[in-house]
Amino acid sequence: MQKTGYSRTVLILHWLLAISIFFLFVSSWWMLGLPLASAEYRFREFPFQLHKNLGMTLVAVIIVMVYVRSKHKPRPKLSAVLSPRMAKLAVVDHVILYLMIFASCLSGYLSSSYSGWGTTLWWMVELPYWGHENEELNILYSDIHLWTCWILLAIIAVHVSGALYHAFRNDGIVRRMFHL
Amino acid sequence: MLPAPARETGGPAWASWLGVIAVLLGVLLAAWHSNEWMKLAIVGEPPYTIETMPEADCEADELEEEGLTLAECRQLALNVHSISISSPDWFKGFHMRISAAGLLFALATVFIGVALVDYRAWAATAAVPLFGGFAILDTVAFTGVVNTGPLIREMYLWPILLWFFIHLTIAVAAYAGRQNEREAAARLPRAP
Repeated sequence: MQKTGYSRTVLILHWLLAISIFFLFVSSWWMLGLPLASAEYRFREFPFQLHKNLGMTLVAVIIVMVYVRSKHKPRPKLSAVLSPRMAKLAVVDHVILYLMIFASCLSGYLSSSYSGWGTTLWWMVELPYWGHENEELNILYSDIHLWTCWILLAIIAVHVSGALYHAFRNDGIVRRMFHL
Repeated sequence: MLPAPARETGGPAWASWLGVIAVLLGVLLAAWHSNEWMKLAIVGEPPYTIETMPEADCEADELEEEGLTLAECRQLALNVHSISISSPDWFKGFHMRISAAGLLFALATVFIGVALVDYRAWAATAAVPLFGGFAILDTVAFTGVVNTGPLIREMYLWPILLWFFIHLTIAVAAYAGRQNEREAAARLPRAP
């Protein structure tokens, strides 16, 4: 059988990305239920740093993934195996998905920058502030972060629905991202 | 559109849909178990008791930024104790081990799910003990949680029960699929 689908690098990055994104959702809902940070209450320190670090790493991962994807395009092309409407929908879904991941990570980092709380990349490199402490900008970027995350979750649901649809039809489309 | 014969180049339909569902559940569970592990590591044993806990720091600007009321802010400090005051000494270690095992099982589920979609005969065989093992892990977790206090039981019993039935469902689906494959293979005419 002829080998089709994305390269193994894209495949591994895709599944790492998927687990990380769901981890970011579930851990953020939990960590926002921890006591507000103070000298005595330091429970938020580790999960917030981890959240920011994972978010920043996701941006790097997605850039690598898009690059590798563009270099090694899977065969056959989507337009050859899907109706034009479905092929267009798949492209739109992916574009919004990538944009929302990028926008949510960037807005999260900017919100953090204006909050006055520093970010240390994987507990090793102190990252520069993008701005001074500013309550209004912090809230603005925090709101953008929140809404882009909700849109991301919705678009992930569409993305997963598409994968399930093709899996139930057993038309071979999902094998592009599901191969060893 | 994809012509019908192209469908024959892959595996059976049951493996395709079961594989994708297994991967989806594996991804969700990997995230959940990682968070559970972190949760227990951070608030499993708070550095103070409810009697000695410091007052929560609830400044007005922080409350506005977080969209919290003063009562909610104070409750957050109390919530940290929900796990420790309702769990026996063994629970933190037990639940962290269950979460670590759950994470490994979840990652294995993603791998086996991919192998089911990209149909490999060994994946159909491996899926049964893997998904069945997950159901057993849920049973162990459920039994442990039953023996804790009401706060922990309220938090975990229902989600664990839900996951148990999901794992049971996919384990039985994998078993039925494997049986179908074996019966189909047995019906094939043998080479002279």
